[in-house]
Amino acid sequence: MKAPDIFYVEDDPDYVFFMENAIQEIGDNLVLRVASDGQEAISSLKRLIDEKTVPKLILLDLNLPNISGLDILRFIREIPAMKTVPVLLFSTSDSPKDVRASIEFGANAYVTKPDGYEKLLQCIDSVQKFWFNHHLRVN
Amino acid sequence: MSTFQADLTNCDREPIQIPGKIQSHGFAVAVAQKTLIITAVSDHIGSWLPVDPDTLPGSPLSVLENLLTKHDDNLSVTQLLQLGLQRQSFDAINPHAITLAGASFYLICSLNKGTILLEFEPASLEYDIQGSVGRSASAMLGGKNLQALLHSAATEIKRIIGYDRVMIYKFLEDGHGEVIAEEKEAHLDSFYGLHYPASDIPKQARALYKLNLTRLIADVHSQDAALLANTEEPLDLTFAQLRAVSPIHIQYLKNMGVASSFSISLIAHDQLWGLVACHNYSPKYIDYKAREGAKLLGQILSSALEYRQEEEDADKVAAFKSSAAMLAAYLAKDKNLVDALTSHERTLVNCTEAHGAALLFENTVTLVGQTPAETEVLALAAWLKQNMGDSVYHTHQLPEIYRPASAFKEKAAGILSCLISRELSEMMIWFKPERISLVQWAGNPEKPAEPGPEGLMQLSPRKSFESWTQEVRNTSERWTQEEITAVLSLREIVIADINNKATAIRTLNEKLQAAYEELDTFSYTISHDLRTPITSIRTYAEMLLKTNFGLNESSRKMINRIVAGTEKMNFLIREVLNLSKVGRAEIVMTDVEMGPLIGEIAQEIKTAMKAADETIEVGATPPLRGDRTMLSQVFSNIIGNGVKYSSKNPAPRVKINGVVAGGETVYSIADNGIGIDVSYYDRVFELFKRMDNVADIDGTGVGLAIVKRIVERHQGRVWFESKLGTGTTFFVAFRNR
Repeated sequence: MKAPDIFYVEDDPDYVFFMENAIQEIGDNLVLRVASDGQEAISSLKRLIDEKTVPKLILLDLNLPNISGLDILRFIREIPAMKTVPVLLFSTSDSPKDVRASIEFGANAYVTKPDGYEKLLQCIDSVQKFWFNHHLRVN
Repeated sequence: MSTFQADLTNCDREPIQIPGKIQSHGFAVAVAQKTLIITAVSDHIGSWLPVDPDTLPGSPLSVLENLLTKHDDNLSVTQLLQLGLQRQSFDAINPHAITLAGASFYLICSLNKGTILLEFEPASLEYDIQGSVGRSASAMLGGKNLQALLHSAATEIKRIIGYDRVMIYKFLEDGHGEVIAEEKEAHLDSFYGLHYPASDIPKQARALYKLNLTRLIADVHSQDAALLANTEEPLDLTFAQLRAVSPIHIQYLKNMGVASSFSISLIAHDQLWGLVACHNYSPKYIDYKAREGAKLLGQILSSALEYRQEEEDADKVAAFKSSAAMLAAYLAKDKNLVDALTSHERTLVNCTEAHGAALLFENTVTLVGQTPAETEVLALAAWLKQNMGDSVYHTHQLPEIYRPASAFKEKAAGILSCLISRELSEMMIWFKPERISLVQWAGNPEKPAEPGPEGLMQLSPRKSFESWTQEVRNTSERWTQEEITAVLSLREIVIADINNKATAIRTLNEKLQAAYEELDTFSYTISHDLRTPITSIRTYAEMLLKTNFGLNESSRKMINRIVAGTEKMNFLIREVLNLSKVGRAEIVMTDVEMGPLIGEIAQEIKTAMKAADETIEVGATPPLRGDRTMLSQVFSNIIGNGVKYSSKNPAPRVKINGVVAGGETVYSIADNGIGIDVSYYDRVFELFKRMDNVADIDGTGVGLAIVKRIVERHQGRVWFESKLGTGTTFFVAFRNR
């Protein structure tokens, strides 16, 4: 099975819907894998590691029930196979406290959820361009 | 014989216990305790016994005994004395009835410093003493209060001993005395209420009054009998019944017109409380048993005095205490401390016997009862604040210490003050008026001195007992321990109350603070939670527009309105978030260079508001002390408003200028815009309030609320001046510190 390009953890089905549409619009070859809570995310990620299909980019919603985005981030950073995978925190909050905590826990970037579809498209486009091209260059 | 001459300088030292003489209505013989040899005899013994007095001193007691047995076979003086010496008291023997020349006599023995004194005095059997004393005691004790007790005591004593006048005389604190009860023959002038100077009864006389509870002067006009002695040491007559009277006192009584005097000591708490002073205007002799009866009444009266005085003191204390308790109850009920202490039936005045009181609390003066004027009280309080070492101060002679008090001594010659808070000058002051400015003295209390034979000023007792009025100035009734105790307990109650109320206010404050913080958190959270669904709405709307090409024009318009609506909502939410951030954020104080900051802000605003034609003039820009980010918010909001509301002016302009004035730096931001109706002055800074004339200009009504909040958190001020259609000038003032 092909490794997902983007692994997205999001409990809000609306945003999952927006993300699916936006990613398809940016590039229909991009593979998106979604987990709707922390538990599901962690077991999915474990399976992906076992199958040696580690995702290229991980997007984490910050506020999730039970296991938060930061908990998942910590889990990811403890697994050697995923040390180099870029992780972006993706949240409605723009609180400096949340931003600081995410960076300290090892996030590569913190992105405030864009307001509206047009802005979302712009956001995903630039994320994709930066991380994937960057990723390719590194490899 | 004493050679002592009393004069002004030694009057208190006249040795009245060794006069060398006795009163002549009886005779006396002194005997050495060890040898029973006669040491002294009164020179008129020949009037009763056939003996040459000069031969007696040095003779054994048996000589006297032989003389006496000729009259009375049963008498053995020697045995009597030995019995007394054995028992170490003559109380059981006294008086020993004997017969001399067919007349009844009492022999009274006393021992003093190794000498036994035998005194012989007539017995008059006219009184049924025991019966009288019993009846009198019950009549006396029937009196309900102290005054009634004293009055009935005077009546009963007069009934028993039959003197023309019986007075009860009380020693006051400074030693002078006052007649506080009197029973007299109807034709006599009353001495009731008269005051007698302390020198009327000198110190050594008082000491004797404590040792001998009765004292009889039978006839001031009789000649004393001298004591013939064979010893150097003068005979000490301290315990003698017949002891001769000081010539000064004799003269004193004569001047008063008194022929015979009898006194009974009143002792309370081991102190000479007073005397029952009995005067007769003709010579009068009462015998030993009558005197003992009177003494017994005096003792009964003394113990009743102790008891009644304590009872009355206790009543007063109870009254003070109940007043304090009432006040405590009022304090618990009333919100206002001043009302609680001054407006009810019982006020703080009732905690003492004062006639008025002042309460200085929270910068107001409340006066109750008889008090000086408010301005006088304020001046007095200022003086007290400076001079009170302790929390309580009292004086009964205020005008002597504090000159201005002379002006209001009729109301406050005595004060009792009690601090509530020295820092705040809060205190309670009680006032007692100048005590009856008049004292009725029995004659001029200054004993006139007369030149003696050698030109020395010699004491002579005053001659006139016409009541003599002296004005005692600047003095009130004294403050008692009970009053001070009551005041201190009231102070505790008041301070506890103040502390309770302060705690209540502090608690309220803390609750308010908590509520405020909660509101901040709430607005922060709610804005946050609102954001997500609004974003969804907008995103769906935009997706609809983007993906459904079949939509007609009117549907597209509607969807666009949805997008605009969410845009506006988001803006509002951001503003509310900003406001709550201002409340939550910590202030980091620095000195902020305002020139560059204002320049940046002006540029940003021009760009953001697309107001290229706006003139922003920046004058002086003194630095401000504050939180850089917050200061920047203040200026962007006010300058932003200036630009926004002047945009319709053909030559829009905003002028910014700062001045340093009196510990503050004040910036003015003036525009030439549409202006604000000043009748809505207060609403300008309220959240979500927008003026009527700005309906077509974008805004949320949050900006100035943020400005106000920031300025308040900096302990600064913000205000504005405006004229509709001409422009508005906002001012912000920050402390320089």
